[in-house]
Amino acid sequence: MFEKAAMTWNLPWDADWVTAVSFIGTSRRIAAGNNLGEILIWELPEKAGAAVPNPIRKLVGHTNVVSRLLSSADGRWLISSSYDHTIRLWDMQAAPKETDTVVLNSRAIYDAENRKNGPKPPAPLPVKLDIQSAAVTLDAHKEWVSNISMTPDEKHLLSGDDGGVVILWNWTERKEIRRWKTKGWVQGMCLSPDAKQVFVSERKPLIFDTGRYAAVKIWNAETGEVFKDLDADFKGIQLSSAAYSPDGKTLVLGRTGEGEGKLWIYDSTGKKVKELTPIHQSGVTDVVFHPDGKHFASAGRDTVIRLWNVAEGKMVKELGKARGGQFKDWVCAIAFSRDGNWLLGGDMAGAVQVYSMS
Amino acid sequence: MNEHLSRRTFLKGTLITGAGATVANWGGLFAARSIAAEAQKAGKRCILLWMNGGASQIDTFDIKPGRPTGGPFRPISTKIPGIQVCEYLPKMAEQVNKLAIIRSMKTQSPDHPEGIYHMHTCYKMSERTPHPEIGAMIARYLGNADSDLPSFVRMGPTGNAGAGYLGPQYEPFSVGRDGKMPSFTTPFGTTEERRKELMNFVEDEFAKDHQAEPFASHRLAKQRAWRLLKAKQVFDISKEWPTYKDRYGDSDFGRGCLMARKLVEAGVPFVEVGHDNYDSHADNFVCHKANMLQLDLAWSSLLLDLEERGQLKNTLVVWMGEVGRTPYINNRAGRDHFIRAWTIVLAGGGVKGGQLYGETDRDGKEVKDNPVSEGDLFATVYKTLGINPRVKHYVGVRPVWATPEGTEPIDELIA
Repeated sequence: MFEKAAMTWNLPWDADWVTAVSFIGTSRRIAAGNNLGEILIWELPEKAGAAVPNPIRKLVGHTNVVSRLLSSADGRWLISSSYDHTIRLWDMQAAPKETDTVVLNSRAIYDAENRKNGPKPPAPLPVKLDIQSAAVTLDAHKEWVSNISMTPDEKHLLSGDDGGVVILWNWTERKEIRRWKTKGWVQGMCLSPDAKQVFVSERKPLIFDTGRYAAVKIWNAETGEVFKDLDADFKGIQLSSAAYSPDGKTLVLGRTGEGEGKLWIYDSTGKKVKELTPIHQSGVTDVVFHPDGKHFASAGRDTVIRLWNVAEGKMVKELGKARGGQFKDWVCAIAFSRDGNWLLGGDMAGAVQVYSMS
Repeated sequence: MNEHLSRRTFLKGTLITGAGATVANWGGLFAARSIAAEAQKAGKRCILLWMNGGASQIDTFDIKPGRPTGGPFRPISTKIPGIQVCEYLPKMAEQVNKLAIIRSMKTQSPDHPEGIYHMHTCYKMSERTPHPEIGAMIARYLGNADSDLPSFVRMGPTGNAGAGYLGPQYEPFSVGRDGKMPSFTTPFGTTEERRKELMNFVEDEFAKDHQAEPFASHRLAKQRAWRLLKAKQVFDISKEWPTYKDRYGDSDFGRGCLMARKLVEAGVPFVEVGHDNYDSHADNFVCHKANMLQLDLAWSSLLLDLEERGQLKNTLVVWMGEVGRTPYINNRAGRDHFIRAWTIVLAGGGVKGGQLYGETDRDGKEVKDNPVSEGDLFATVYKTLGINPRVKHYVGVRPVWATPEGTEPIDELIA
């Protein structure tokens, strides 16, 4: 199915690491967020082969890392979470009120200027952008919001933070239904499509200290109680990434850190189905299901994106080249378009990669 | 690095102390008795909080918000205008009036073994002279030979130089990372084998080193061992811990800080508590965030506890590691070793708090003014404690000084 998958555009945004990406509804618009709290919007050309587009809009307000971007199906709302403790909603139909000029390669210029005997700084790439603020800012969290996850019907949203707080939201009304606290910081997290289950991987990433902690559990979203404790399966491993399949029957989990980037498939009862190979050479950073529910994509610290067949538990395509050692650039976040024909990848070199799946 | 000094070395140090400077090779007492007497009169102590691996200055006390080198941590203001610290050190922010923050450390040894040695001795590891650690030097001049307690105690990941030319009587006594004492210090008589083991060791060591006076030395050794076993209760924090756990934080480092407070209160002149692990070549921010949550509670509580008990004015608390960390963030989300511009913090013991000393440039890449070397820092510490920074010892016939020539104490830091 993905035999011809290939990069179509590499959108340069050399300001800082790109940490979150999303398509906006079913449109050709995409959003990317970075370490500085900036979010840019691009309008992609309809067909591959067209020139690399410039961004068209900048969303301002976040003051720290954008950890996740989600979109409503109708493309009206973009939802972002951030290390600035907030979740924000951006009205994609709102008219911008001002403009600003952004230099797309500002980091490259800074690095060159500060490198002794290095290359000359490149010419700046300025682009004029419409500026927009958030329509709604939710400040229910008091720590870095590490993750958000939304049901397909958009009635529920789950958010988690580094203080161990997990909040299940009635997203229609933007109100909390329930919250509970885990012992560790929330890392890998997702909400089942029926909003009944919550997967959370927790950590306290101390190194040699006896206080180091990691836990993996599936929670009953309706009661806030543990449904299935998977600690024994993972024995201290920290999981950065988790995703439920669209039918809610399958969980894909990815291991974080510099060690082996392992991936597992579990069923929704908490039973392990398979551990996948080949592993990422270094930690998994994100996993996302293809809309067909039969495939998923994984991204890692080894610079590569992999496409997998769930039923067979096999890799079907690799995008990019896996690079080990110390000279690698992470792919920090990935997202499929709603029709499954496109895939986005945001990387730490400051680029948004757009892949055509066909 | 040596986290647990072998019990052989510990006992060797303990046993010889009572016998005085009979081992001519060490040259420990030459020309230094009056300095020691003066220093001891001041009754000062020192606690070294050792950030093993090298804490990031730019993520703790020299924040660069909005700069490409800044990272995701944000600064918070303190009660002293112009002094900001990391948001994950809020309790230390409240203690800022006690702190002398040296932001302009500019040192020479970039890697761990050399850096640990250099920042424990103020001399390079490459030198042939076996320089003593700061703890041994302080034990030498502020310790009490008649005390039942060791003068140099350490726990967790700490230094690697030992007592050097000062001799084994100033070797550190190591407590486990979890606060546990070496196994042979459990009470005499509970295990016959352990008792025999200890006594055999005593006899063996003195047969080797004191062939001319075996019986007197043997008797002295037994007395010293007994005295330590009687005094070891001070290391036991189990009864107090439930009261202090929330205050110091339920961590190895928190327990270490409480034990340090108890030990200095009991007269131990030098205690070192190591905190692991700051060597964040990867995932620097999550590493430091997790560490700072422990550090903030334990360190601030130590300062407050010492202050409440009237001990802070005579107890110098030094916060440092072997290196700083690069302003540049690498592609492992980490910061690497950095020695051109980093931070050390002093508090108590006669240091003038509530001040910044030295400054770095806007990205934290270079020192702008008042660079401080290893020797300058040690000179400042020794002077604060009433020890002459240029006190001279002899290794054989060769003179060596406690701090390198050309280094000076920073008087602005001393009240």
